[in-house]
Amino acid sequence: MIKFGPGNLRIPKFERPVYVVAGGLTDFRKRYPEKNTCQLCNEALRMAVEENDLKVDPEQYRRMVNWCVYSQFADHFGDQLLAAAKIHDYLGFDPLGNVEVKTGGATGGTSVLAAAQAIASGYADCVPVVGWERMDEVTTKVGNSYIASAACKDFESELGWMYAAYYALMAKRYQYENNVPRETLAKIACKNHEYAYYSPFSQNPGKYTVKEVLENEIVSDPLSYLECCVMSVGAAVLLLADEKTAYKLTDTPIRLAAICGGSHTLRTADRRHMPILLLPNENESTYKDYYGVRRKEWPGFSSFLAARMAAYLAYNMAGIKDPVEDFDVLETHDAFTISDVQTYEDIGLRPYGRGREFIESGDAYFGGRLPTNLSGGLIGTMHAVGATGVFQLVEILWQLQGKYDKFHGDPKLWQRYGKTKPADWRSLQVKNPKRGCAISHAGTGSHVTCAILERP
Amino acid sequence: MATDWPTSRLEVLNEEPLVVKNPKTWFHIHSYGGWGKFFKGLREKKLLATRCTNPKCEEKRLWLPPRTECPDCWHDMEWVEAPQQGTIYTFSTVKYPGELFKLPAGTHLISVELPGVCTKPMSWLKEGEPQFGMKIKAVFNTERPTNTILDLAWVPA
Repeated sequence: MIKFGPGNLRIPKFERPVYVVAGGLTDFRKRYPEKNTCQLCNEALRMAVEENDLKVDPEQYRRMVNWCVYSQFADHFGDQLLAAAKIHDYLGFDPLGNVEVKTGGATGGTSVLAAAQAIASGYADCVPVVGWERMDEVTTKVGNSYIASAACKDFESELGWMYAAYYALMAKRYQYENNVPRETLAKIACKNHEYAYYSPFSQNPGKYTVKEVLENEIVSDPLSYLECCVMSVGAAVLLLADEKTAYKLTDTPIRLAAICGGSHTLRTADRRHMPILLLPNENESTYKDYYGVRRKEWPGFSSFLAARMAAYLAYNMAGIKDPVEDFDVLETHDAFTISDVQTYEDIGLRPYGRGREFIESGDAYFGGRLPTNLSGGLIGTMHAVGATGVFQLVEILWQLQGKYDKFHGDPKLWQRYGKTKPADWRSLQVKNPKRGCAISHAGTGSHVTCAILERP
Repeated sequence: MATDWPTSRLEVLNEEPLVVKNPKTWFHIHSYGGWGKFFKGLREKKLLATRCTNPKCEEKRLWLPPRTECPDCWHDMEWVEAPQQGTIYTFSTVKYPGELFKLPAGTHLISVELPGVCTKPMSWLKEGEPQFGMKIKAVFNTERPTNTILDLAWVPA
């Protein structure tokens, strides 16, 4: 596939509206021997059902569920095939039907997409999405080789057994083509580590300077440790429902206006040049001075076609004209600082070649035009892979429901995880947000979903 | 009949919570299938790519890594030797590789641009310091082949 046929760009539609009603998380840790995976999923589900001001009690909720979706990246890590069957049993949902979804780092996003499809089609009314990853049974080096098993094992994995290196190849090329300063990449790391500092769920919070990020040890040139996502253990749960069920559950359901997926070759190597798929806020003239001048091909190594595809479909499905104007809050899959800048361009926050301006202008910060990764993201808070895309939407949901403070500012929640709320904690609740977006991303861009949540 | 308790045991790493060490010692039998010709070619210092044999297919260039079926038209491919001189498209020095890496930390990974090839295969630079657009040529591990993609590397041309 390289040329689009008439069916390939059909805009998806739901047969009936889909709502998100509640979310739950565990805290995220590098190692979590205190709790097994079933316990972690149970804890996240109970937070979703018991602590989100639902109008039903847990027993009533259990009686309403008719389908479940499970989200786990790698059987390697959990060392338990058919883990979903075990989780489903321990959560007390059998004999209901369920499905486990696997699309690498985008597993969370795709799981929510699968739940939305079930509800939109009328197959189900009430669906929990349960995501988790247990990455602490092996050393970090073995963990990295497990993750690199999600590169092409015949022609790529042997080259480093390290995903950060595959992103570093893209980072180098992106810098070469677009002249992005290292300082700009470092600022993304500083921002997300700082936002993680205000979250009781976070694994790697910290207030770092650009200098500290740049002087941090290198994983694969040019990326430093502080510019790479964490490897986590933890779980996240999101509850979805059709409109009638959603209002039975809560007075403040949030509509899932769109969720769409795109893909691209597993190997970055195989990405051939093609015409840019334009978003609603771009036109032919947007790129007349770019290609052939600064850059000879698209998507190449500097852009993610899967992200562009997902955004193209989701923006058209939800009627988004300009993402920076139309969204009030955004979660990106900041696995690495470089992939964040690439994504800013793929989802149209800036035209290709100008992604750096999204950070440099201040737009991406709390108080800016489109605050991004207020959760702390993958760099600061968590990347328990199967939970990640679910976690992003839980955080967007809480922002749109005005519950950031409830779930981040309560000292008792900090205590629950053995932490003390920082004296200089500050609220990152966006004022009266209407619409949020989350990008879930796999591989070096093999799968991406774009989800848009909207206050009804 | 009485069966005795097992003699092998899991080592206890921690009592509270109880943490045990669960060893994994087996291997996988992996077939390269239709791509095996590429890896065998490396032993003979050949860089074997594939090309679509469908005259109506618009993609006339070579695929490397090879594919046995064309992703654009599902037609069969034919094996063709790819050029052994190209340029560095991008590069990174991997300082912290994963567990299974057979080369030392500090190895230069590269993506290679080759004339007439539609892909930019990932590989490694065996000698020299990488630069964008640097001219390089293929070298092959024929002495003690690993039978992996590492048997192909590049040096300054």
